[in-house]
Amino acid sequence: MDVASTLLVPALSIRGLTKTYRYGHFFSRRSRQALHDLNLELPAGEVFGYLGPNGSGKTTTLKILMGLVCPDQGEARILGLPSTEFGWRRKVGFLPENPYLYDYLTLAEYLDYVGLLFGLSSALRRERAQHLLRELDLVRSAHLPLRRFSKGMTQRAGLAQALMNDPEMVFLDEPMSGLDPLGRRRVRDLILGLKAKGKTVFFSTHILGDAESLCDRVGILRSGQLLAVGRLDEILRMDIPRYEVLVSGLETTQLDALPCGIDNRRDIGERARLQVREGGLGALVTAVERVGGRVLSVQPVSESLEDYFLRQLTAAGEEDPEWAE
Amino acid sequence: MGGMRRIAAVAANTFRETVRERVLYNLVLFAILMTLSGLLLNPLSLRQDEKIVKDIGLASMELFGTMIAVFIGVGLVSKEIERRSLHLLLAKPLSRDEFLLGKFAGLGLTLSANVAAMTAGLYATLWMIGRHSGPGLLAAVYGILLGLMLAVSIALLFSTLTSSALAAVCTVCVVIGGRFADVIRNMREVAPGAPGWLTTGLYYALPNFHTFDLKDRVVHGDPVGFHQLGWITLYGACYMGVVLLAALASFRRRDFQ
Amino acid sequence: MWRKVLFLALVAAVPILLRKVDQNLGEFRAQEEALYLTSGQQVRRFFPGFEGLMADVYWIRSIQYFGGRRVFAAGKRFDLLEPLINITTELDPKFEIAYRYGAVFLSEPFPMGSGRPEAGVALLERGVRELPRSWYLQQNLGFFIYFFLKDPPRAAKALLEARKQPGSPIWLENMAATFLGEGGERAIARQIWRQMHDTLEDGIFKKNALNNIQRLDALDAVDDLNRVVQALTSRTGRHPRSLEELRAAGLLRATPVDPAGVPLHYDPALGVVEISRDSPLWRQPLPTARRYESF
Repeated sequence: MDVASTLLVPALSIRGLTKTYRYGHFFSRRSRQALHDLNLELPAGEVFGYLGPNGSGKTTTLKILMGLVCPDQGEARILGLPSTEFGWRRKVGFLPENPYLYDYLTLAEYLDYVGLLFGLSSALRRERAQHLLRELDLVRSAHLPLRRFSKGMTQRAGLAQALMNDPEMVFLDEPMSGLDPLGRRRVRDLILGLKAKGKTVFFSTHILGDAESLCDRVGILRSGQLLAVGRLDEILRMDIPRYEVLVSGLETTQLDALPCGIDNRRDIGERARLQVREGGLGALVTAVERVGGRVLSVQPVSESLEDYFLRQLTAAGEEDPEWAE
Repeated sequence: MGGMRRIAAVAANTFRETVRERVLYNLVLFAILMTLSGLLLNPLSLRQDEKIVKDIGLASMELFGTMIAVFIGVGLVSKEIERRSLHLLLAKPLSRDEFLLGKFAGLGLTLSANVAAMTAGLYATLWMIGRHSGPGLLAAVYGILLGLMLAVSIALLFSTLTSSALAAVCTVCVVIGGRFADVIRNMREVAPGAPGWLTTGLYYALPNFHTFDLKDRVVHGDPVGFHQLGWITLYGACYMGVVLLAALASFRRRDFQ
Repeated sequence: MWRKVLFLALVAAVPILLRKVDQNLGEFRAQEEALYLTSGQQVRRFFPGFEGLMADVYWIRSIQYFGGRRVFAAGKRFDLLEPLINITTELDPKFEIAYRYGAVFLSEPFPMGSGRPEAGVALLERGVRELPRSWYLQQNLGFFIYFFLKDPPRAAKALLEARKQPGSPIWLENMAATFLGEGGERAIARQIWRQMHDTLEDGIFKKNALNNIQRLDALDAVDDLNRVVQALTSRTGRHPRSLEELRAAGLLRATPVDPAGVPLHYDPALGVVEISRDSPLWRQPLPTARRYESF
C-alpha cells in the first residue's frame, strides 16, 4: 500500500454493529439490546473518547472488536483488517476495565509472557519491558508478585502489557477507573504521549472531564445507540457562552445582594467565583465595583460536556444518575 | 512456527501457575506420606510388604493425581473466564485454540512432574525396605499418567461449558463412571432386566479408565507387552482427541461477557 | 471442516480401539489377590448407606474373579472366591442370585470351580435362612446336597422343606422321594409316594406316584433276588447262568416279574439282577456331580 492510501485507511471502521444479549432460562428468556446499528470511523493518529453511562454498550463494543463476543450483525475493521482476523493484533494494544493480571506472577514475568505471545525476541522483550517500566514508574515493582500491587499499580501494569508490542493503536476501557488524581494524571500524560507519537487511541470512559481534556473527537453512546460523534468544539459550539468572574473583597451579604443573572457562585475564602451569561456580564461588573469589590479576572467558559448531555437526557425525559464529574 | 511457540508459552505459564498453587504441594506430600505409611502397614498384614508398598504407592499416585487433574483442570479455564484475565490474552495474537491447547499441555507437564516425584518416592520407599524393583513398575505409572491426561481433557471440556463448580461435579461423575466401566458392562449379571443396548452403549461411550489400570498386573509381575501398551495408548489418545476437539469447538463458540 | 471429519473419525475409532484393548488384555483382567476389606462389616463401615450397591460391586467382582481365574490365571486357584461371595451376601442378605450362582462357583469340582461343595452348601443354607420363602433356593440346596455331598436323606429333607413354601411345584416331593429311593431310603420314599398317591386326584401325577411305588417294590424284589444269587454264587463258586438255575435250585418259585408285569433281567456275566429295560419301571440312573447348565 502506498503512503497516500495508508493515510486514507481508517484505523477503525465499524459498520452496522448490532448485539443483543439473551439470558435467562427456558421459561423466562429475556433479551437486552446492547448495541444497535453502530457506525463509526476513526482516522489514524486520533485520540477518540467513547463516552456513555454504565451499561450503554461501551464495553460490549470493545469486546466485539477484540473478538471476545460475536456480533449479531455488522462488521468492524481494525487497521484495515477484518476484526475477526489475527493480523492486526500484533499492532494493537488492549486494556480492559479492572484488569486482572495473574497474581502468582511478578510484573517482569508477566510482561515477558505477553512479549512471548507477541512473538518478540528475548532481547526485544527485555528492552521493551525496561522501557515501559521506566515510563510508567514501575521499575521498583518489577519483581514484586502482582498480587501485591495496589489498584493504581495494577492499572499501570495493565498499560504496560497493552504497550508491550509498541502498538499503532491502543484500546483502553475505562483506563482511569479507580485511580487517585495522581494516577489519573499519569494515565492522561501517557495518552498524550502516545498521541504525540502519532498513535491512535480509542478509550472509553464515563468520566467526562477526562474526555474533555484529551480527545480530538468524542462519540456519545446511550443504550446501545450512538447519539453524536464529532469534534468537541463542534458539539459545544451550540452552547451559550458564559463567563466566569473572579471577585474579591465582598461580604457574603453583599454577594447575596448582587443582581440576578448569576448562574453559579462559589465562595473561596475571601474571593468568589461567579458564573454569568454573556448578556449580564456588564451589569455584574458594574455592581461589584459599586459596592467596593474588585474584579480580579473574567474568563469565558464554554458549557461543559456534562451540561450538554444532561440537557440532552432531560430533553428525552430521562434522569441519568451515572454521569460523574 | 509461531503457533507452537505460543502454545508452549501458555503451557509454560500454566505450569508455573500450578506449581505456585500451594495446594499442589500438599497433595504430593500426602501421596508420598501414604507410600511411606505402607511401611507401617507391613507388620500388620500377613502379606508381602513389597506388594503392599507398591499397591499403596500406585493407588495413591492415581488417587491424588486424579484429584489434581480434576480440580485444577476444571479451574484452568473457568478461573480465567471468571476473573477475566482471559480477555487480556485473547486480544493478543493468540487464538482460542492455542490458548486451550497450551493450558492442556501445561497441566500435562505439571502432572508428569508430580507423577515423576511420586514414582521417585515409591522407588525410594521400596529401596528402604530392601526390595529393588525393576522398571516393570513404570508400565503401571505410564498407565496412570495416560488416565490422568484423559481426566484433564475431560475437566477442560466441562470447564469450557459451564462454571467451575458444575464442571468439577460433572468431571468427577464421568471419571467415576469410567472407573466402573467394567461393572457397567457386566451390569446384566446383577440386573438382568437392564437393556443390553444401554449398558453396551454406556460402556463404549464412557472413558474406560479401567483400561489404564495396569497396577495389578505389574504388582504380580505379569509382563505387560509393548503392543498392549500401544493399544492402550491409541485408545487413550483417540478418546483425548475426541474430548479436546469438542472442547475447542465449545470454546470457540463462547461469548465472554 | 477438517475438524469435523477428524472428530467423527476419532469418535468412530474409540469403540473399535476399546474392543481391541479388551481383546488384548482380556476382558476379565486378572483381579487382585489382596482383599483389603475382608468382611461385610468392614465394607459397611466404609460405605454406610450403600450396602446394596457395594453388594452389587462385590458380586460383579466375584463373577469377574471366577471368570478371570478360570480362563486367564495360571494357577487357577479360587482362594478369594469364598470371601468375595461371603462379603456380597453379608452386605445384601437378600441377594438371591449370589447364593444361587455363588454355590455353583464354589461347588463345581476343580478346575471348573472352587471344588468346595461344603462351602457351596453352607452358602445355600445361609440363603435359605435369609430367604425362607424362596423354594427355589431350597430346591437348589436339596440338589447340591444330593449331587455334591451325596447325602440323600438330607437332600430329601431340604426338598420337602421347599415343598412347604406356597407356590412350590409339586414335583419337589417327587424329587425328594426319588432321592430317597435311589439313595436306599426306600421306606421313607415309599411313604411319600403313598401319601401322594392317596391324596392326589386321578391323573398323571397319581399314575406317576403309583409307578414310583411299584418301582420301589421292584427294587426291593431285585435286592432280594440279588441276595439269593449271591448265596448261590458263593455256594457254587460261579455266577448262575440264568434265573432258571435258581428255580432249579429250589430258590425261586416262578419267573420273577416286576410289579408292572415285566420279567426281571439277569446279567450272568456280572451276576446281577436288575429291572428290565423294557419295563416301564426302568429309569436312567440319576446323574452324579457333573456340569449342569440350567440353574
